[in-house]
Amino acid sequence: MPVLLKTTSPQDIENPYRVIPAEIYDIVQESPLIRTLKLRPDEPIVFKTGQFIELSIPGVGEGPFTPSSSHFETERMDVTIMKTGFVTNTIHQAKTGDRVGLRGPFGSHYPLDTFEGKNILILGGGCGLAPLRSLFLTLVHEIDRYNSITFFAGAKSPKDCIYKQAVDEWKQYPKVTFVRAVDEVPAGQEWHEDVGVVTVLLNKLDIDPADNPAVVCGPPVMMKFGARDLLEYGFREDRLYLSMEKKMYCGFGQCRHCVMGKYYACKDGPVFTYEQIKNEEDIWE
Amino acid sequence: MLINIQDFIEFLRKTAQQGDQISQVVVPVRSEYADDTHTFFRPLTESNTPLFNSYRTVDPAKFLLYLPREQVFPAEQTKNRILAGVKACDLKALELLDAALLYDQFTDPAYKQWRDSTLIITSDCDDISSSCHCNLVNGQPFAENGYDLNLSQIKNDFLITVGSDRGDKLLDRIKSEIKTRKASESQRMQVEKQRKRIIERLTGQNKPYSRSSHYEKLRTIDPAPWQDESMTCIGCGACTHICPTCYCLILNDESKADQFIKQRSFDSCQYNGYARVAGGATPRPSMTERFRNRYLCKFDYMVHNFEKIGCTGCGRCTQACAGEIDFRQVVHNLQNMAIAVQ
Repeated sequence: MPVLLKTTSPQDIENPYRVIPAEIYDIVQESPLIRTLKLRPDEPIVFKTGQFIELSIPGVGEGPFTPSSSHFETERMDVTIMKTGFVTNTIHQAKTGDRVGLRGPFGSHYPLDTFEGKNILILGGGCGLAPLRSLFLTLVHEIDRYNSITFFAGAKSPKDCIYKQAVDEWKQYPKVTFVRAVDEVPAGQEWHEDVGVVTVLLNKLDIDPADNPAVVCGPPVMMKFGARDLLEYGFREDRLYLSMEKKMYCGFGQCRHCVMGKYYACKDGPVFTYEQIKNEEDIWE
Repeated sequence: MLINIQDFIEFLRKTAQQGDQISQVVVPVRSEYADDTHTFFRPLTESNTPLFNSYRTVDPAKFLLYLPREQVFPAEQTKNRILAGVKACDLKALELLDAALLYDQFTDPAYKQWRDSTLIITSDCDDISSSCHCNLVNGQPFAENGYDLNLSQIKNDFLITVGSDRGDKLLDRIKSEIKTRKASESQRMQVEKQRKRIIERLTGQNKPYSRSSHYEKLRTIDPAPWQDESMTCIGCGACTHICPTCYCLILNDESKADQFIKQRSFDSCQYNGYARVAGGATPRPSMTERFRNRYLCKFDYMVHNFEKIGCTGCGRCTQACAGEIDFRQVVHNLQNMAIAVQ
């Protein structure tokens, strides 16, 4: 029986529906469809990297998002959001100074204590880089605890790449290898880095897969093939961490929308090991 | 303890009117249409008459403890109530709702309040509906525990059984206000006999529907039989809304300019948009898949989550179904198929 990953509770366990208001103090347009809201919650929100929060636009609705900032930062929180549906369209119309609501944090987090002394592989694409940025920034905050970090990031095309300004800085960090690839370079766009789906970058990898953790997050198809390729490469099923995206409505295992067989994506996940969920239904959909 | 039924009803009326400790008493009452034998939970008034025994109400007790729509943030204050005439199938459903909504660190604030402020009086069934099938799911037409008080009818009297401290306190109050008698051994025997008689009727009615209880095999059947079974399903969600153990919810944001307000309301896994994520992807795009999900949820997923199956045999889903799908028949057919495959 695979072991459940650790979770922590939201701050108000008496009422997990409690909303903590937050002000948008800045907005970064990362790509045509993706933007990062920089938030200042009315009270600090303590979370562990990998966990998610529910962000609501008053009178409109809410959706689950993982913070993309380090969990060492509690006074402020970054949330990177792709415009893809009703709620996110409204979020993309929000302006600096607007107030939004936050609930949480909810769910499981990356087991950083087991990453100690390891060579950590982070593999992600598209808006899946959001939780990975949080993980990455959390890891580099205590970089002495880890041996190395390899971060492979993918995007559809150069203009879809996110965290553009930060990337150059990340590449300079000690013990960090940061490599990017885009699926294609359309005419008129400039690109001097790798081309191909992000898993092609695995041929640049020089760590022992049997003893090190790999973390994957991205669109479903990328997760599916990313997981397959990493397993083929030799990573262990119980050390391959996936951040699953489902319709997490309530956030704490009651509304049942995110049920994946016997698991709830919100309560038992969103971070799962591949070993945990490989036999459950509909995991990649 | 024996008590005259009319006296008991008068006691409940008085209690509700006084409103000092209990502000409302909810009871099963007959439909206003003369030829309709169904009962519904309604507040007890001067003019209506409760019908405690019969069979389960049309509306599950869930509707009174986990409201179809209610505010969960900020949570509102609930009132003290007596909910009487609850059947064993509904009480068993509350066990599952408790496991789902009041577990470890997460509590649904509104459900918890209703649960704490509602005193539950169960009553034995002395009739069955054509869809009742608690006997197929290890249930029975009377409650054994989990109630505050239980009522078994003996002619013009109720035999009252105490199930909790809260029930004991209410019984003290009853005793102080109205005449009660001690039940004789033969009267207790009579209750046993009545119970047995109803179980026999249930067993007779449900003879055509076998159960192996190896529900985990349901998962192994390929899509075609599910398609056949769900042929007349129109995806209206009536089965899930009326089900005493379904609690899927959506959270609506009703915030005002200066205050965040969250309302939760019922949702149904039978709807296409249920599991759809932003961007449009959904794990169960077809009606057959959603139909299958409901059965697997009841007999497989909930077993993993709560160590009990999610069906208490009330049969409401069968009665509510516009496509005339009999829940018992579907489980029976599919189980047989699963066993044949093995």
